[in-house]
Amino acid sequence: MLTKYLLKRAIFLFLTLVLSVYITVLIANAGGKIDEILRAQIKYDITRNLARSPGWAQLPEEEKTKLINERFESAIHAKGLDKPFLERTLIYLIDALTLNLGRSLFITSASGSKQVSVIILERLPRTVILFTTGTIAYSIVGLLIGLRMARKPGGIFDRIMTFFAIITQAIPPWFFGILFILLFAYELRLVPFGGFLSVPPPRDPLNYALDILYHMALPLFTWIFSIFGSWAYVTRNLTMQYSEEDFVVAARAKGLSESLVMRRYILRPSLPPIITSISLSLIASWQGAIITETVFTWPGLGMLFYQAINTLDAPVIIGLTVVYAYLLVITIFILDLTYSLMDPRIKTGARR
Amino acid sequence: MSTSIGLKDLGKIIISSKSGLIGLLILLTVLGISIFALIYFPFNVVAKWNEPTFWQDNPRVAAPQWFSQLIGRNLPQTIYITPQDFSKYEYGVTGLKYVILESRIKYDYDDFPSELFAVIYANFSGNNPMATVKIIRPDGLEVVVFHNVLKSDMNFLFISSDISIKETVKNSLAGLGLVANGTGTIYPEICIFAVNNENMFTYGQANVLKGTYKVRIELIFSNINDTADAKFTIYGKVYGMAGTDNLRRDLFIGIVWGAPVALAFGLSAAVATSIIQSLIGALSAWYGGLVDEIIQRITEVYMILPFLPFLIMISLFYKVNLWLLVVLIIVLSIFGGITKTARSVTFQIISEQYIESAISYGASKLRILFLYIMPRLLPYMVANIVLNVPAFVFLEAALSILGLGDPMMPTWGKIISDAYSNGAIIHGYWWWILIPAFLIIVTASAFALIGYALDKFVNPRLRER
Repeated sequence: MLTKYLLKRAIFLFLTLVLSVYITVLIANAGGKIDEILRAQIKYDITRNLARSPGWAQLPEEEKTKLINERFESAIHAKGLDKPFLERTLIYLIDALTLNLGRSLFITSASGSKQVSVIILERLPRTVILFTTGTIAYSIVGLLIGLRMARKPGGIFDRIMTFFAIITQAIPPWFFGILFILLFAYELRLVPFGGFLSVPPPRDPLNYALDILYHMALPLFTWIFSIFGSWAYVTRNLTMQYSEEDFVVAARAKGLSESLVMRRYILRPSLPPIITSISLSLIASWQGAIITETVFTWPGLGMLFYQAINTLDAPVIIGLTVVYAYLLVITIFILDLTYSLMDPRIKTGARR
Repeated sequence: MSTSIGLKDLGKIIISSKSGLIGLLILLTVLGISIFALIYFPFNVVAKWNEPTFWQDNPRVAAPQWFSQLIGRNLPQTIYITPQDFSKYEYGVTGLKYVILESRIKYDYDDFPSELFAVIYANFSGNNPMATVKIIRPDGLEVVVFHNVLKSDMNFLFISSDISIKETVKNSLAGLGLVANGTGTIYPEICIFAVNNENMFTYGQANVLKGTYKVRIELIFSNINDTADAKFTIYGKVYGMAGTDNLRRDLFIGIVWGAPVALAFGLSAAVATSIIQSLIGALSAWYGGLVDEIIQRITEVYMILPFLPFLIMISLFYKVNLWLLVVLIIVLSIFGGITKTARSVTFQIISEQYIESAISYGASKLRILFLYIMPRLLPYMVANIVLNVPAFVFLEAALSILGLGDPMMPTWGKIISDAYSNGAIIHGYWWWILIPAFLIIVTASAFALIGYALDKFVNPRLRER
């Protein structure tokens, strides 16, 4: 049952991924952007290869142009760039799905490569570090505070936290980021203005890790600060809803301790809907990371987006969009997996 | 309770809850600001905002005026000496014409000016005139700022940045025995206005010399009919209600004008997405079967699409303005969370008797959808509109930060992103960020508070599903 459910979800998510990537290709190529990029790259490759071949310099100019054009035409034909629009987009779709993302125009990776996939893969871990630590941290903080709020609904703690949740829910993390940089980096000088490592980076591994933590502190704090409130609020509402159910009342009547009731009778059934609501907020915060990273000059994927926008590096932008499509789909699949393990109804095949 | 709420009741709900009332009051204030902006500054702000010459009389990156009171230091305001403020003495000697322009100003501020700037309007028909600009300090020292032949009939003297003028000031002070240590550059706006001691050349250590200064411009013409006028500006460090930006623009005007733009942008995007998503949700529930299945699947797919990267790609590859951006956002959110809410509410509605009776007297499906179901969804739409406005206001700001916003329109997001990209954080130009940020936060909070009040009544349990 479990595998059947997961298989169904996997197929659905794969189709979603294909659609996302295809939309990306369509948007990018509606103005002929991909065609243009590929043609320029093929021409560049051919010219460079020919220039290296022996005897090239001795050839007359017309001969050179003729040779370049011949090779260019055949390369275009081989790549399928002379096919009609729809067929071309399908070729690009397969390229993009296999992460064959071509070369960037200006941006290079730290290792000096211009392959878009190399550039993106180099940035990916930094985004994932910040993002996953942040997500785990705000989930835990939010969950604990939410349970605390549900203990005395309408009390002073509950009312203050609810107000906090309403306000922070309406304001994105990057916005708090700007304010916090002004406060903690400029005014109090507690943390750096941004970045990932000091210049020059420390040599030994321990200080290296500490340096990253020092740079991560403010983005992480900002992220937790701006998200845990709405998180706590959702947890509070769900637990309150469940704590009035008959089976919880019965468990209390049996004389079970409050913490046991909380863990086994309230938290357990309310986890699946909590996970559902995380999936939505996760999708939002993956994308929000684009601006949050930019504000903190954290050199991950989001910052790469910003750099690519400023240098008009179209291949990188298209590649990033494809990678984002992958990230969102993978995130949802991981959540599905967790969900299926938490909800016993899926194991037995009962209808959700 | 949830299905029996009409649009009229929403008003009562807002007013009767504390959060709703506070939110409403804030929102009315912001609306008041918008109306004030449209009436009080009726000129074409968008055109003026991007025209540098319009703002040239304002100081660059000046803090708001009330900052002086806040920190208890009398920060300098800009002092304008207009051609009328100069007293003019003219006399001819042996075929030469002498013109002396002189003006006194009282400088009682606790900080140095930010910039000095002069314009000499020379009206000559003979040889090019010779001009000397001097500042006579309260302690009697005479500092020569400019001593040269005028090249045209309108001469701009950028005293604080022009290297040859800085050199003249340095030499003139050296002639008085005041030598700047080191070969470093001097700041005329500081050393001219500093107490005569060893720190007078050092930025951050010099003390202000208060008192009455004289600006004296002497011109020598070769023709007896020639004459001149001048303008002298001592730029301050505070300006207006909200300070200025790096292009000397009055941020108060930008921020106040940002209010109607932000509201119009957020509201139009929120209204359109809410209506469209509700309609699709109702359609899904009402038609059921295959239609329902398809709409539900599409909605799920839509919610996993990389919305922001798409938006970035489109606005980068096809240069869009603010209003086209709204259309784009709407197209990219045809399906979404509201579709799901509207669908489950519609299920509740269609199980009611009056729908059954409508079916029984033969009303068409579309007629029931638009005349019987949609009106009942109206309160939900309103609640969702209110809840979603802040997200769209911030979306515009986010795109501005990425450099993809409308380049001409002074929106709140644009002002903050200008501040950010011009290093306002690193230099501590707090007003440039905090004042627009405060307004965005207040406006977003107002919507959130009203939304919270409505949400509790409109969706008592739906949110949790």
